[in-house]
Amino acid sequence: MNFKDTQRLPAKQSLKMQSAEKQLIYLYCVTAASPTLKEAVKLASDLYFVYSVDLYAIVSKVAESEFGEESLKANMADLEWVKTKISLHEKVIEAVMTNTCVIPFKFATLFSTEESLKAMLTKYAEEFKAILEKLKNKEEWGVKIYCDTGRLRQSLANNNPELLEIGNKIGSSSVGTAYFLKKKKDELIKDMLNNKISECGQESFELLKELSVEACLNKLLPKEVTEREEDMVLNSAFLVNKLEVDDFINMVDNLRMNCEGQGFSFDCTGPWPPYNFCRLPKEKTQSG
Amino acid sequence: MDNVVTKSKDVTVLEILDRVLDKGVVISGDVIISVADVDLIYLGLKVLLSSVETMEKLRGTPFVGPMQEPT
Repeated sequence: MNFKDTQRLPAKQSLKMQSAEKQLIYLYCVTAASPTLKEAVKLASDLYFVYSVDLYAIVSKVAESEFGEESLKANMADLEWVKTKISLHEKVIEAVMTNTCVIPFKFATLFSTEESLKAMLTKYAEEFKAILEKLKNKEEWGVKIYCDTGRLRQSLANNNPELLEIGNKIGSSSVGTAYFLKKKKDELIKDMLNNKISECGQESFELLKELSVEACLNKLLPKEVTEREEDMVLNSAFLVNKLEVDDFINMVDNLRMNCEGQGFSFDCTGPWPPYNFCRLPKEKTQSG
Repeated sequence: MDNVVTKSKDVTVLEILDRVLDKGVVISGDVIISVADVDLIYLGLKVLLSSVETMEKLRGTPFVGPMQEPT
């Protein structure tokens, strides 16, 4: 193809251009205490906060040509753009949360004016304050468990007496009987695999839940998304008291040591902004 | 012993995506990205698109017939 490259605006636009262009307000997070933006400003120089109803909204101005509905749709198809912007979103919130409790917002929560942002803060003021109160002195931690199914299958086939016995029988049977025995063996392995996986996932989740204030199970991501050989068998998040984080991490370590010989591996990440623990009550968002 | 804990600085884009796109407080701002778009990003992010194409081609084989049922 021979299209000429359309001219792109440089990422950092001059002030003159900014003032000429229509802008939107991008909301990162909300806090109850006055936020320290010293670190966060290093990431996004135009960061500031909007104060209303005893809440602080940490925001920056973005160009409508980049974040307006149509542009956003187009940009969301550009993976490099998405990667850069979601990383910035995350880093800004992380920088703010080193000093105070935050309610993180979903990527690309945008307002056209400060008035509409303030109206939103007023509408949800009580809910936001309750959530921030709940989140005080707590951290979100994420635990994902992956299973190397092949390895687990092998470890079952080599060690389970029932399977070993069927294996022996297959060796000494006629072709027809061997076929049915093999089928039976495959089904047994499948059941055992499923049991083992839910046992490891469920037990780990329950034990970690006991060490946390709140816990939540998230949907498993397919291999195409994780780009890992192993299957994701648990995707969970926990809200943990800061004082108990060490216990929590020790428990993850113990679980990992118990399970990894069988083909399970653990990913424990944090502290995260509490993305999983700041849901608004349903009625309010539906009616609003 | 390896430390299992990853500090958030080192986490993958996937970990961030898993939170930033469909978690966090969702309110109706003035510009809305729909949930469908979020799924599209997951799809776009990885090689899935090529396998989707393959599936489309397979669906188009003569055995399916000219009238494809919406799935």
